Amino acid sequence: MAMKEIVVGTAISKAAGRKKGSLRIGTLPDGSPMEIPVVIVRGSKPGPVLWLHGCVHGNEYCGTFIIHEMLSRLRPAALTGTVVALPALNITAFQKGQRMSPFEGFAGGDLNRNFPGDATGTLTQQMAYAIYKPLKRHATHLVDFHTAMTEDVAWALYADVGGKTGKESEKMARAFGYRSTLPAPPTILGGSALMTAAKDGIPAMIVECGGKGPAFTQEAMRDGADRLENILRALGMVKGAVVDHGKLNYFSNFAWVHATKGGLFQRSVRCGDRIEPGSVLGQYYDLHGRPNGEALAPKGGIVLAIHPGPMIGSGETLIHIGLDPREV
Amino acid sequence: MATIEIGSAVSRAGVRVDGMLKVADLPDGQPMQIPVTIVQGPADGPVLWLHGCVHGNEYCGAYIIQAFLRGLDPQALRGTVVALPFLNLTASQRNQRMSPFEGYNVGDLNRCFPGKADGGLTDQIGHVVWTHLKRHATHLVDFHTALTADTHWSLVAGHAGKVREHGLAMARAFGYSPCLPTPTDMLAGSAMMAAGAAGIPALIIEAGGIGPAFTPETVREGADRLRNVARQVGVLAEKVVDHGRLTLVSSFAWCKSAHGGLFKPAVRCGQPVKKGGVIGTFFDTHGEKVADERAPATGVVLAINPGPLLPQGDILVHIGLEPRLETAATE
Repeated sequence: MAMKEIVVGTAISKAAGRKKGSLRIGTLPDGSPMEIPVVIVRGSKPGPVLWLHGCVHGNEYCGTFIIHEMLSRLRPAALTGTVVALPALNITAFQKGQRMSPFEGFAGGDLNRNFPGDATGTLTQQMAYAIYKPLKRHATHLVDFHTAMTEDVAWALYADVGGKTGKESEKMARAFGYRSTLPAPPTILGGSALMTAAKDGIPAMIVECGGKGPAFTQEAMRDGADRLENILRALGMVKGAVVDHGKLNYFSNFAWVHATKGGLFQRSVRCGDRIEPGSVLGQYYDLHGRPNGEALAPKGGIVLAIHPGPMIGSGETLIHIGLDPREV
Repeated sequence: MATIEIGSAVSRAGVRVDGMLKVADLPDGQPMQIPVTIVQGPADGPVLWLHGCVHGNEYCGAYIIQAFLRGLDPQALRGTVVALPFLNLTASQRNQRMSPFEGYNVGDLNRCFPGKADGGLTDQIGHVVWTHLKRHATHLVDFHTALTADTHWSLVAGHAGKVREHGLAMARAFGYSPCLPTPTDMLAGSAMMAAGAAGIPALIIEAGGIGPAFTPETVREGADRLRNVARQVGVLAEKVVDHGRLTLVSSFAWCKSAHGGLFKPAVRCGQPVKKGGVIGTFFDTHGEKVADERAPATGVVLAINPGPLLPQGDILVHIGLEPRLETAATE
């Protein structure tokens, strides 16, 4: 029986096996195409289409490496369904080691706030449009890889949109099994691939793993790939017993806290630490090295991300706190 | 005891003073100023000059200098410690190597010493700093680093006689090995070689890792090692800790990448490598292997690029050549 064709740019999958190609998502100012890598690994039996993408924010490299590691482990003969992988979405930002495309002009250019995109919008909106079209057509599940600033970042979000989509999203998050997990209410993260997909009925989760730029470890990358493989088991795509990661800490929401003071900064908490309102988060120093005040937590919860210093300016993200942790 | 005046910092015996040194004008006319701390003891002695962030994003040294200063009791000093932890401050603010205000002259401050009063911005910064350094310093320690947290090595000005001899004694007191006694035809324009040529023993410490890639342990340990240098030069009347013999290298080789792409290093700092040995592997964006990169020379790894992404021609590895253990700690 002929399988349904999966087409993502020049990667065209019609039967079991591995196909690679590239998807054009824009045009560069010199007229050359802006293209991103696509790999499709298709099993011999029909099943879910698990869509993996990374580097929506260009310098969050750990996800790219987790996806690559996952791809190297997949054998079409032992796979049910299909994995579609786009490991480097925001390719020009990826090249420059920055969050947003250097070619984006006026629109801010946060790709994770611009889904489902706009065919006639700004660069980042057009990129989102080109990516979301095949995602919506083919994906039955989505895992989107992000990270924050330091190597100890390890948490996840799933689309808590209720119904079958919400349940299936939670199943993925539990199979991934990071202890810190946010069931993300549909009121937040508008324009993210996560919420856009979930509202179109595609179960979705975000993994926050590693640390941006070179700030991730091989251990975090391998652990991320192991956990991702567990999602494939939970979805019945590869054989083997699903690892039970036990109870997770669910949050009600998160709080972004911006620095209202700049200077030399040394953190005193790590990701995953429990904090209370007023907990010391780190120490400021002036240019002469004299202590210049402490940064205090405005709210209690679990540290999801913390600024590593050594210098911080006003308005930079100081800390990201998971609120109201409860074991579920 | 001679008063030392550097910008608004004016030394006083037995106390620590902080001030700012104007090194240039900003484009809006405001002064570009850098922090200066002078800690002067009640008794005469050497003037140990410390500076960091010649390359703006090499923060570890600034942190080491500041931790060292916090541990100093001015009353216990013989002589003076002068510290300028952030020489290239506008580059530090931007987390980059060179000043964002530098235009045409590339602006590597460590190639601009002794500076030029009517040169480009970075030449002028070099000139202001050098004028004070040359007048006051009897010993120089200049903090730098490479890419990864495990960067730990040193260089000394190799000018024959007292400069090389005292430089190596300072390097032993800091105790990072390997160490390059730098031949006089290398690193022209560095503060170290300018100092060496002016008869001032000079040490470069490479510690930590650029940007946030350094650990609190390296800072703590670096401050202890720096204190040991202060003992060795005689600023502190305490017993010098013996860190053992140095591994001397004759020179170094910078290896630039022949490929671009996703790079996974296979070696760490301090590790020996053989010419032709694999030092890492390039992958493409689909995750497929492109090629192994091989060491162009035999030696010891001084710095390695952690990736994860490199353009062609980026610095891949920095190898110290012909490493050999000192025959005695007196070479």
